Amino acid sequence: MEPLTVLLNTQTPLLQFLPEDEGRTAHWEIEPDFAKLEEGTDFEFSPGGVTRMVYPLAKRLIAEGLWKEVHWVALNPKAPETVRLQPGITLHNVNIDPSRMRGYGKTKEAIWTTVHGLSEPTLSRDLFWTDDYGEYTFYNRTTAELIRGLDHQHDFDLFYVHDFQQLPIGHMIGSLKPKIFRWHIPFDPAHVPEPWRPLLETFFNAYDVVVVSSESYRDALKRFGHRGRVERVYPYVDPEEYHRPAPAEVETLAEAHGIDPSDTVVLVVARMDPAKGQDRAIEAIARLAPRFPTLKLVLVGNGSFSSSPGGVGLSKGSLWRRHLEKRAESLGVADRVVLTGHVSQSELDGLYERCAFTVLPSSYEGFGLVVVESWLHHKPAIVSDRAGVAELVRDGENGLLFGPDDPASLAQKMQRLLRDRGPLRERLGESGFRTARVCTLETAVKTESRLLGRVLEA
Amino acid sequence: MFAIPSALWPVVYFGVTIAVTAVIGWLASLAIWGLMRQSNPQVTAAAQRLGLIVVWLVGIVIAVQELGVAVDVLLVVIALLGAAAIVALRQPLENFGAKYFTDVYSPFKVGDTVRVGDLAGKVIEVNAMTTVLLTEDDLLVALPNARVLREPVVNLTPLAWKELTVPITLPGSIDLPAFESDMVKALAKIRTRLDRRYPPLFTTKSRSPQSSDLVLTLMVRRPEDREPVLAEANLRLTEVMERTRGSGSRGTVPSEPVEHPS
Repeated sequence: MEPLTVLLNTQTPLLQFLPEDEGRTAHWEIEPDFAKLEEGTDFEFSPGGVTRMVYPLAKRLIAEGLWKEVHWVALNPKAPETVRLQPGITLHNVNIDPSRMRGYGKTKEAIWTTVHGLSEPTLSRDLFWTDDYGEYTFYNRTTAELIRGLDHQHDFDLFYVHDFQQLPIGHMIGSLKPKIFRWHIPFDPAHVPEPWRPLLETFFNAYDVVVVSSESYRDALKRFGHRGRVERVYPYVDPEEYHRPAPAEVETLAEAHGIDPSDTVVLVVARMDPAKGQDRAIEAIARLAPRFPTLKLVLVGNGSFSSSPGGVGLSKGSLWRRHLEKRAESLGVADRVVLTGHVSQSELDGLYERCAFTVLPSSYEGFGLVVVESWLHHKPAIVSDRAGVAELVRDGENGLLFGPDDPASLAQKMQRLLRDRGPLRERLGESGFRTARVCTLETAVKTESRLLGRVLEA
Repeated sequence: MFAIPSALWPVVYFGVTIAVTAVIGWLASLAIWGLMRQSNPQVTAAAQRLGLIVVWLVGIVIAVQELGVAVDVLLVVIALLGAAAIVALRQPLENFGAKYFTDVYSPFKVGDTVRVGDLAGKVIEVNAMTTVLLTEDDLLVALPNARVLREPVVNLTPLAWKELTVPITLPGSIDLPAFESDMVKALAKIRTRLDRRYPPLFTTKSRSPQSSDLVLTLMVRRPEDREPVLAEANLRLTEVMERTRGSGSRGTVPSEPVEHPS
């Protein structure tokens, strides 16, 4: 196969450019050479899948000669129009007017909460007849037009579109070239309002292949009536990016976050979002606190790109954080809950090392890569059975499962691990470490290469 | 005072006639646009072109007469050539013309399953001369467009009666994302006449810096809504096209290919 020229499209940008204080012009606004900008001062990598999955995959496929050139289009209002990130990877940033951004944000949020089963399907049945949907269309058409213009210049071999927000792109670009869509969030036909079906079918059918994160979503999409090809590819991380810090480093970090050496730490790594269910973990801690006086819950994460001032500007993240703080106070466990906000990768490694186990308490979760991260640190994970990763968890063998609708269930599973003095935690952690191999970049490169081969040969 | 030599007066008259023709052509085009606001924009554009051709033909003949050239023979030759062309190319012209009308007014599109007379199949192509059907026996049947226009066409596709497809040609000066967004909002105002499962859908057929060919698909709730919805959609189209000329945002297609940054 000849090396491919690929168009990547995500909603979340790989890089978020940082504003300058006091209304001064940011360095990136006047410095055309990206090589002269500094990570942490001028820009940072977006947390989540684009940095953990999409970027490493693109780099690896370029290094292996399978991809020649990648043009990555994403929504990034406060960023240069084009960034030559490294040889072979160019970022193209889409900017839309703030008034349109609000409507776009409201629509995609409504889609997200509906698909996650967090709102009544009847409430959003007329979503596609609102003015906000007009702005959602505006954003997607603006993106599609940029992609068409870039295709005119670079003659792409493949369009690889990620994120549910971008679903209309395949239909809008209208190219006959191969198109792959990666649906990262859960898919359950029961949550899809009846009036949405024909439009979603039209959009899904514009792609040659739809990739989902679990077998259950693949079956669900088929049950939904999708006629095209659906492939399951487990999300992945690069284990090389994860390190085990020295014990002294871990203790220093723990101290900085108010964690005593005697504390038993339960770790939840998730962005601040109601669907992530951190409130369930707080309630479980409240149930267990009297029996386990050294128990401490550490919540890592802040808002998503959508909640960031440079992004869509929704306030969801900060509102949810305040709700969690109040919930902890009302349950009398405010001193048992630590909210760290965003942490660096090395800090995150340290917190994984410091914890006794991790919890993924989501009400619905597309996959749950944090479980894989936990496993890479040999730490057991208690996983919501409504997360995509749950199909890799065999209860009691490589993790523990709980039903997010059962308030007592999570506390029971946590108690089981808290009472354990070693063997169970160790066994689950080691077994989880072995399971994590199916979610590594190495495996993904093989799976994605096979997938690309099939799509291009078809 | 400067006096124009009498020999030059015919040239002046010629120039004035051409200028007046241009003004009349422009006024006629505006009048046609005003009169056809509820018609499909493609039909309106075609009528404007036809009107302009007629005005210019008359204007040029009058202008040439001003130069003292006898146009009687010229007119007879043009008429004879026209008649000969019509006789010689009667059938292709008939099919070509029919294609224009089937595109805009026939209740089927590529992808639909139709029956025309004793032939049935899936429409896989509508070209300048024929409509190509793929039958259940995997046979290709080319039906002359004139026959498709003349004979009753039964569209066997489920829900075909609901579907309205409106071909749209947008000049490059119109910002496509703003146009589509405004149309989605405008059509939402008549949603009670539309099937709520099918929001307005724009499909791009071709795109160049000069123009975009799109198709707007609407699904009506009741059969009797087809005509009023089509008229309303055309009206909204014209209004939104006027409104969205030239607005833009970062991310729109460059009008000319630009160099890739090195």
